[in-house]
Amino acid sequence: MIDVQNLIQGTRIHGSLYRDPAVFERELAAIWYKVWVYVGHESEIPNAGDFVRRAIGLQPVVMVRDASGKIGVFFNRCRHRGNMVCHLEHGNVPAFKCPYHGWTYSTAGDLLAPTFEEGYDSKLKRADFGLTPLPRVDSYRGLVFASVSPDGISLDEHLGGAKEFIDLFMDLSPTGRIDVQAGIQKVRYSGNWKFMPENSLEGDYHGPFIHRVAFELHSKRTGLDMSSLYENEIPDVIRSLPGGHMVEDYRGATMAPPNRPPSEARRRYAELMEARYGKEKAQQLLTTMAPLIYVFPNLLYLMTHIRTVRPVSPDETFVYYQPVLLEGAPDEINTERLRMHEFMFGAAGFISPDDIEIMERNQIALQAAGNDWLFIGRGVHRDKILPDGGSTGFTMDENHIRGFWKHYAGVMHAGA
Amino acid sequence: MPDEFEAFLTYEARLMDEGRYREWLDLWTEDAQYWVPCNEDDIDPARAISIIYDDRDRLVQRVERLLSGSVLAQQPRPRMRRVISNIEVSELAGGEVTVESNFILGSMRAGTKHLWIGRTIHHLRRVEGSFMMARKKVLLIDNDAEIPLLQFLI
Repeated sequence: MIDVQNLIQGTRIHGSLYRDPAVFERELAAIWYKVWVYVGHESEIPNAGDFVRRAIGLQPVVMVRDASGKIGVFFNRCRHRGNMVCHLEHGNVPAFKCPYHGWTYSTAGDLLAPTFEEGYDSKLKRADFGLTPLPRVDSYRGLVFASVSPDGISLDEHLGGAKEFIDLFMDLSPTGRIDVQAGIQKVRYSGNWKFMPENSLEGDYHGPFIHRVAFELHSKRTGLDMSSLYENEIPDVIRSLPGGHMVEDYRGATMAPPNRPPSEARRRYAELMEARYGKEKAQQLLTTMAPLIYVFPNLLYLMTHIRTVRPVSPDETFVYYQPVLLEGAPDEINTERLRMHEFMFGAAGFISPDDIEIMERNQIALQAAGNDWLFIGRGVHRDKILPDGGSTGFTMDENHIRGFWKHYAGVMHAGA
Repeated sequence: MPDEFEAFLTYEARLMDEGRYREWLDLWTEDAQYWVPCNEDDIDPARAISIIYDDRDRLVQRVERLLSGSVLAQQPRPRMRRVISNIEVSELAGGEVTVESNFILGSMRAGTKHLWIGRTIHHLRRVEGSFMMARKKVLLIDNDAEIPLLQFLI
């Protein structure tokens, strides 16, 4: 029996959390099959019958829009003999037909026809053999979440303070809506899934070490001088929110404007933004870096994209990068976002691959168990407790990582 | 006649395999486009994400970064060899040629061997008795799957 609370002691966490199969098993039960997990965005399935295959932990699910326009999330498993009812990654179907014995379900999950029905006991009811829905499904601004557990706090409560930051991101669109239909870059790495949330909002500390060249190239291409963000540490940027979420809030850190005049498309975009949000808010949205967001346990909202983390085993993880297009923005702005995304992210990008290489080396190094503790203590003496129960620190502080682990410890303990 | 195309592709492959990235860069025209689509082979790059979609500037940056010594997945540089075959050539107007070929690329790094497999469509331009690459599109068979890092030239 693992004693998770003993493995997480404030500023130090134990190496076994990244490699012990028993910890991984507990995570499946206590986290992945318990809490709200992000599944996909509504815009991925715009029409009736559209579906995408996803996974929650190790369990295959399908997110589908039914004939009435309602979005459902179902376990991807036939109620007859357990075959996958949906084997394509995405597409459109009038109904799900299991390939094994032809049982067919509507996109709302109802069993339409078991085959050779005359051979089944007449007392059996079709209504008892519909696709199994995830017990809880809910959405916020188009982001669809589901939970394998019927019990727990509402999505609203789960997201809590993270909603404010999700809003800021969505509001980069002149209609307030995003479009997540630009495809998915899929990457795998040999390392624990928790490295991804830990690393993704910590670029201020590791950036100068592993991303220096890419940052320089980025500045050269865009005319944006990012160095101001790294020269001085800024307070109140890093935040841990109750619920294990993490944020880098850059609202207090206005960037120097690009050293070149804005393009025609950018001027039009600014006008559209002002028309919707008013001059002041539009200015704020356009001159500060959007927040970086992590929503426990698997959703990241970073610069150009939505990133999801999918655990495979203690030392293997899948990562999905889905670029976010801004509905209503000029086409050139969205194409620019795609090119920016390819510059930074995916298997062949200039930034995130260095992070992934670090995670793989991390996994190897953590086999060395001579002193099996990792230290996450930067800035602990200056953590500022916030009224919401979260806390904040300076840009390079490990404040949010401590917040993640504190929440993780609670959830893992409760799930024991 | 096909020999000159095979010779060119073989030379390009050697430069990529051996990390001779600057020489590889010299094979490109000014209006270069280096494209590795993602999810499907035929996508609209204005609306859909690619694995790589480089213009000349981005290509120069890619090489600059690979040679900077700072790319962690290039420490050490992956050892790799690729085999190119199934070459099909179609002449276009104005001395331009489309050459399609299949490749199998074995890479070895940090104790892990990986096979990259795909089809390449080169758009070559005749320049002073040789060729330059104007466009290159690489169709990976696993461009819709979870792939490891691609921190080299393909």
